[in-house]
Parts: sequence; structure tokens; C-alpha cells
Amino acid sequence: MGPKILSANWDVPGSHTLEVARSRGVYSRVAPALAMKPADITQVVKDSGLRGRGGAGFPTGMKWSFVPSKEKRGDKPVYLLCNADESEPGTFKDRYCMWLDPHLLIEGMIIAAWALDCHTAYIYIRGEFRFIQARLDEAVAEAYKAGLLGKNILGSGFDFDLHVHLGAGAYICGEETALISSLEGEKGQPKLKPPFPAVEGAWKAPTVVNNVETLAAVPWILEHGAAAYKALGTEKAPGTKLFSVSGHVNKPGVYEIPMGMPMRQFLDEVCGGVRGGKKLKAIIPGGSSVPVMTAAEVDLCSMDYESINQNAGSYLGSGGFIVMDETTDMVAALTNLLRFYAHESCGQCTPCREGCGWMYQILCRVRDGYATPEDLGTLRDLADNIHSKTICFFGASAAMPVQSFLTKFRDEFLERVQRPAAAVTVMASAPIPSAGA
Amino acid sequence: MAKVKINDTEIEVPNGTNMIEAAKLAGEEIPHYCYHPHLSIAGNCRMCLVETTTPRGPVLEIACNMQARDGLAIRTDTAQVLHMRKSVMEFLLVNHPLDCPICDQSGECRLQDYYMEHGQYDSRGLDPKVGKNKRQDIGDLIVLDAERCVQCSRCERFGDEVTGTGELRLMNRGDHTEIGMFPGDRLSHNYQGNLADICPVGALTNKDFRFQRRVWYLKETASVCTGCATGCNIQVCHQEGEVFRYLPRRNDQVNKSWMCDMGRLSYQEIAGLKRILKASVDGKAVEPDVATGEIATRIRAAGAAGVGFVLGTRATNEANWALLQMVRANVPGARIFVVEGNDGGQAAQGDTLLLSGDRNPNTAGARLLARHDGNVGDRLALLAALPELKLLVVLEDDVLGRLGAALPPVVFFGAFKNATAQAAAIVVPTAHPVEQDGSYINRQDRVQRVRRAVNPVGESAPAYVVVDRLGARLGKAPGTQMVAAAFNGMARAVERMRGLEFKGLGAEGRLLAPEAVTAVPGAEAST
Repeated sequence: MGPKILSANWDVPGSHTLEVARSRGVYSRVAPALAMKPADITQVVKDSGLRGRGGAGFPTGMKWSFVPSKEKRGDKPVYLLCNADESEPGTFKDRYCMWLDPHLLIEGMIIAAWALDCHTAYIYIRGEFRFIQARLDEAVAEAYKAGLLGKNILGSGFDFDLHVHLGAGAYICGEETALISSLEGEKGQPKLKPPFPAVEGAWKAPTVVNNVETLAAVPWILEHGAAAYKALGTEKAPGTKLFSVSGHVNKPGVYEIPMGMPMRQFLDEVCGGVRGGKKLKAIIPGGSSVPVMTAAEVDLCSMDYESINQNAGSYLGSGGFIVMDETTDMVAALTNLLRFYAHESCGQCTPCREGCGWMYQILCRVRDGYATPEDLGTLRDLADNIHSKTICFFGASAAMPVQSFLTKFRDEFLERVQRPAAAVTVMASAPIPSAGA
Repeated sequence: MAKVKINDTEIEVPNGTNMIEAAKLAGEEIPHYCYHPHLSIAGNCRMCLVETTTPRGPVLEIACNMQARDGLAIRTDTAQVLHMRKSVMEFLLVNHPLDCPICDQSGECRLQDYYMEHGQYDSRGLDPKVGKNKRQDIGDLIVLDAERCVQCSRCERFGDEVTGTGELRLMNRGDHTEIGMFPGDRLSHNYQGNLADICPVGALTNKDFRFQRRVWYLKETASVCTGCATGCNIQVCHQEGEVFRYLPRRNDQVNKSWMCDMGRLSYQEIAGLKRILKASVDGKAVEPDVATGEIATRIRAAGAAGVGFVLGTRATNEANWALLQMVRANVPGARIFVVEGNDGGQAAQGDTLLLSGDRNPNTAGARLLARHDGNVGDRLALLAALPELKLLVVLEDDVLGRLGAALPPVVFFGAFKNATAQAAAIVVPTAHPVEQDGSYINRQDRVQRVRRAVNPVGESAPAYVVVDRLGARLGKAPGTQMVAAAFNGMARAVERMRGLEFKGLGAEGRLLAPEAVTAVPGAEAST
């Protein structure tokens, strides 16, 4: 299956301790990196083609190069934020990175910080990950003690402080500007762009926000070189990626594979196939926010950004691979997803704030047999009217499942709304959600 | 400057101009809720989405977060834009209670206006609405109805950025997002009324105006608040001779879009119990004409050396000018004074936002005329002259309260009963600022107009008219029956007012010419 870059140490007992981590080579790339010119590190990352693993797949090296030079930013500091607010439904890879190999992440952050001329960094960790925070805190303390963090790292003269910050438990805080708001102590809400964080982010200073998995890949790239990383995966999507596999499969879990593996092969060989030998109905390939794929589309795609986009109109996203077999009730599945989005919308922009709850209510009626075909039209309209009409990508994330489920599994929805007896009693029997907060 | 294009109109605006403002200049109204010219950009209502061309093709972007730069082109009339406006209206109204019949905002509500202009769809809302807290008493002046709120966050930003008090907060998430305050918190500042003004819907309403009058019955007259020396620009909202409220009128140079609650509520005095309605002589009510005749008689009796006149820091420029001219023409030797200070003799607190510690609207105007005449005494001069005075003629100000010294018999021209009026031998009622045309000069030396919104109550008349009538009785009327004539005469005579015309004062007023720097005697100019 190719080399393990991110999960190489996961099976080693005690991999989260500094001693074991060091014995496995973690931190061996710090000293060589600190001997390099910062710009050269950014260049290596650029050349490697590493793309952000949080979901958007934006080239990491390019993101780093957006930070204004010292002359331009004056005496403003640069902040590096590690986005560990992993809350996309179906995605659970970062938690393993932090739980089983926290030192690899810290090593990646030291190197990234050196490249970015950053002296203060934060790991913003999801509110529900309290137990992981404890482990990260231990790892950071060990690193400080060993002189790997703090003043004058390994005698290089480079000062670097790393803080672990626990969020309060909001999906939206995984959005980078909302993460910044939350870190600053404000309500976790996305900010208007421009200005972009690389220019004006945390506390109005240049800020780079990278996903856990992205930063953890940096040490390997430096050690083995950009070419070695590029040799893995596809041309446009080099390297390996962690996939969180859940749903109706025989072997759910987190898998590291090179990009570009055929999706069917991944499902059957790596994940052990569909549970109970049933037929595959659908897959959500990149966390709940991306459009759903039919079984037929699965056969066309491989596990990389371009293939999924071109062949199925979906996205690789964060690699949350949700498998649904033939018994899945797609209406119920979508309703369940929308319950999440209605609950998590930050409430800032009108379309998303009002629309997510509205879509959820309509879906409840569809699911329960109290809807008409017109309601499906409304649902589709609402999704279209929310998509990309908001400050952040949340609106689109809520709209895309609706649009894709309605298009690709239209018959199941139509069947639900063509029960005239129930439909006439819409107003009288619709479930009334609790009023107020 | 940047050349921008709005639809097919090309205009030039300063670089960085907000595109909503730029569009306004081009005659294109971009609908919006959360944008406010004097608050930071929130960009959350999405009503101002416009189409702009990018390398990726036409995209929708919010106009409020776009700054004018050379070559920027937006369209507000494409099918996509119009569709989104309709859609945003549908989203905003799906959980709105639609209680317009009992809502005070009706008639000046952006939800209503924009629905008629951009919505006009058939409702598809079949599901129960999200209920929120209604009728919350959150301050002395404000009632909050969270259900009507569109979560534009203007009030939140006002509290954060203008008053710095930050009471109102958007809490919770999604469609349960609700505007509110922390338990036990209450609005306590002097600028609460602005919250009701900036609320584009009926969520924040003014207690004072609640259920008083439907706004579409009200007529608006542009005027100036006379509660202090700031001179906030206002709209006087009135119907059939009754004033129902003051609203701040935008003037970026003076009050931006705000006014204080003290000034806002001062409309209550117009028809209040403190108004002087009738003329009186020695406590007996008489016709104003009779009182005027009696004043002339007593002035003659006192003789030029025995009578003093006090210009008003609360009077209009025209009234002060009338008095100055009247005295110089008829009793040339009489002494004239200006007594600064606040009525009742109390020191008042100002603040750093708008409210001035000087609660008189025209201290600068009275000073200007005193300087012009060159022979006008101040408070100390008046105190020194008191023993020789047999009669003191006072315009508007509470001279008794300000001086705190016993006065000779007083003739009082004024609108309100104050200590001086109560002690006066002769009283002639004058009009309230909303009952007359005239001008005041604020603390920035800005000459601003008040306009007659309602008729003077009782027997009152504008002070410049009253003084003109007195002049006629004494022999020479100063010719100030007509306000424009009075102002223009003054502008011709007073150096710093030269070039100003009453009709040319406009909506935002005009600054006086800067004070001429007088050479310090003995100091040589070094060249």
C-alpha cells in the first residue's frame, strides 16, 4: 500500500511519549530544518505538491507564501494555527494523529513555524476532544522539557512557543476565520474575506491555518525530499492521505493510502467490502458536506481530488468516507444530516441561518410522509439559494448534500411525497418543534 | 479617485468608497439591512448581493464589503441579483412573526419596504415558525421583540463601537439566533433611542413612541436639536400641529446618524406645562400688544442709562440680531450683555460623544454678535452694572438663575417658565424652535437652520418678531419681521458671516469663516 507517512508509529506501544517517538525518528528533522533557510523549506513544501488536508485541498506551500514579508508586515508577528477542530461528520483522522503520534504534529509545527518566521503557534482543538487535549498537553510539556519548544530550540537561536487551546464545541470553528474568532475569545463566527488570514488573521496579524494532517506530513517531506513525496499519489494530488471510513463496511477505521487508488479497490480490499455482502448504494467520499456519490459513480472514481470531482461532481474533502448499503433510507439519511447543519449554522448570514432549519423541517415532513411534491421543489430552491451566498462555506456544505441527494436519489424522495392521504393533513399533524432556544 | 461602473452609469468616487454609497451617488439604491454608514461592516444580511465580473466569470458579492477601485464594475439589475433579493426576503420572513398590524415599525420597516420592492412571492412557509422572546423591557427607552429581529447585528455593533457599552448580543445559533442581553443587564446610557432608529425592523422600538401614531401620518421637518451646543441635526415628526418625536438626521460633520436621549425627548417640552402661553404685566394676563406697549413705556421711563438688555444663548441668531439692532436704533446708550452658563445656574456634564456641557444651542451665536458689536458686557459686567439698572430686558435665558443675584425689574421674552420668567414684571411668550424659522451656531461654529414644523402655541411668536414689534413702539423697528431678511442683514454686517445666505444654509449648515487672527500689540511679524 506504499509507505506510511502519517500513521507509521500508530501501532507502536507508547507512541505518544517522547522517548518512543524519538526512537522512531520523530524530531530528527528539526535540526536539519533549522539549518535551512526558511524560504527553502517553503519551496520544498511547494515542490512536494502537498495540499491542505482539512478539506479544501489548497496547496500548502502557496498558502505559506501568502504571508507578507517582514518589510511589509512591520513588527506584526506571524501566527501558525493548527486546525484540530475536526468535526466534519464522518471524519475522525486528526484525532488519531494527535492521540497516537502527537510529537509528529509538534515536529511539523516547529518546522512550519521556522519556515514562516512564526514564534507563537496554537493547536485549536475541538471542544469534545478534552481527552486528547490532555495528551497533547503532556506531549507539549515533554517537548518543552527536552528543549524542542521554548527559547533557543536545540541551540539554534530560534524561539518557538506552542499552546494548546480547547474550543467550546462548535462545528463552525473548523472554518479558519471562525477558528480565529474563537481563539481570540469572540463568538465562533466566520469573518468577512477579504482580508484573508494570511494578511490579517488572528489579532489582525498574518496567520496561517493548517490542518493537523497537513502539518504532520511536513517532516517526512523534508526528510525524503519533494520528489519522493511527489512520487506517491497522483500528479495533481501527491502523497498519502488518511481516510476515515465509517458506515456499512466490514472494516471501518482510519487508513493511510497513496492518493489515486481506485475507489472500488479501496472499498473492497482495504475496507473489506460492504457489510454483510450487501450491495453498495452510495458513498459520501469527503465528509458529510460533499455531494453524495452513487454506486455507479464509485466505480468511475479513484481516491484523489480531481477524479472525484470530474467523475462524480463531488469532493475528496477531509476524507470522511461514509459507506451506505442498499438498505439505507436516503431520505432519513439526508434528514439526519440536515439536523446537524440546522444545529450548527452559526446564525450569521440570512440564507444559511434561516434556510438550514427550514430545510430540516421540510425534510422531517418528507421523511414522515407529510410533504407534497411542491415541498421537494422548495427544498431544491432553498439549497440553491443558500449555496455560495454566505460569508463562509458552511452554507454550501449544507446545500450540497440536499442538492445531490435530491438529484441522485430522486425516486426515493418522490415516493415519499406521493402519499396523498398524509399530504392533506400537513398543517394539522406536522410535528411542532420546541419553541425558543 | 476611482472610476467605477454601476450598471451602465460610470462615476468617479474617492478610492475605497463603499459601493453601497457609490451606487447611491449613481442613483442606484442597493437594498441592505446590516450595512450602516457609521458602523463597521458585518456583511451578514446578504441583501446587498450584486454581480461583479471576475476572471472566473460573473459572481455574486456583497456590495457593502466592496471598496471602490478603478475599473470596478457592478450590476444590480441582473436576473441573478433580483432572484437573490427575493430569496433573502423569503429567508428573512420565514420565521418573522408578521405582526405588522401591532408593530410600530410598520410604515418605516425594511422588511415591508423590501418585500414590496424585491419580494412579492407567495409564501412557501408551511412549517411552524421559531418562537422567541417578545416584549422585553431592556431599558428606559427601549422595548425588545426578539421575534421581529433579522439578526443584522447593527445594535450589537452600536453598543460595541459607538457607546462602548456592548449590552446587546446575538446569542445561540442557526435559526434560534436571538438578540438579547445578559441576565440582569439593562440599557443605561443616554443614546438608547438610536438603537430603535438603526433597527431596520420592529425588534427595537422606542417606548416613548410606541403606539402613539402610525408613522405614515407623520410629516417630517428638517431641523436642529436645541438641547445643547452640539446642534444635532434632526427631523421633527409631527401631525396636525402636534410633535410626536425627534429623529436624528444624518450629518457626518455634526452628529453622524445619532442623537442623545435627552435631546430626543426634549420634544415633550413643546407642548409641556413649562411653556409660557400668555403675555402678562405685573402678574396680570394681557394681550401681547398691551405688554409690548408697556415695555416701551418702562424703557423710556428708565432711560438709556437705566436699562440693560441681555442677548440670549438660547435665542436664535435672528432674535439676537433683532434685539441688538433694536437697542442701537432706539436706545443707543443702553448697555447690552451676554450671560453664559446653564439655566438654573447648574453646571452640566457633557460626554465625549455628542452631549455638550453647554446646554444652550446658540452660545457661539451670542458670542459672535457680542464680538461684532464690540460693546457687549459679560456676566461680570452685568453684575457690576446691576445697581445702576432700573430695568433689565432678557431674551430667553434664565439670567436670574445664571447670575444668582437679585435683579432689577425684568422684562422677559421667552418660551419657557424659568426662574427669571417667574420673577419678571413683564413676560411676552416667544416661539419654540420647532415653531419658527431661524438659525443657531453650534460649538463648531456651524450655522444651522431650524424650520417651522408646527404653529406657535398660545400667544407666542418668534422672538425676532416680538422684538421688531417693540422696536416699532419705540420708534424704529429693526425690520426683522421676516427671518430671511433678518439673517441676510446680519450676514452682510457680521464679518465672519459674510457670504452666507439664509436659503443657502442647506441641510447640513455652513461653517463661519475662521476668526481673524488679531495681531498681538508690540509683536513684530517675523518674515
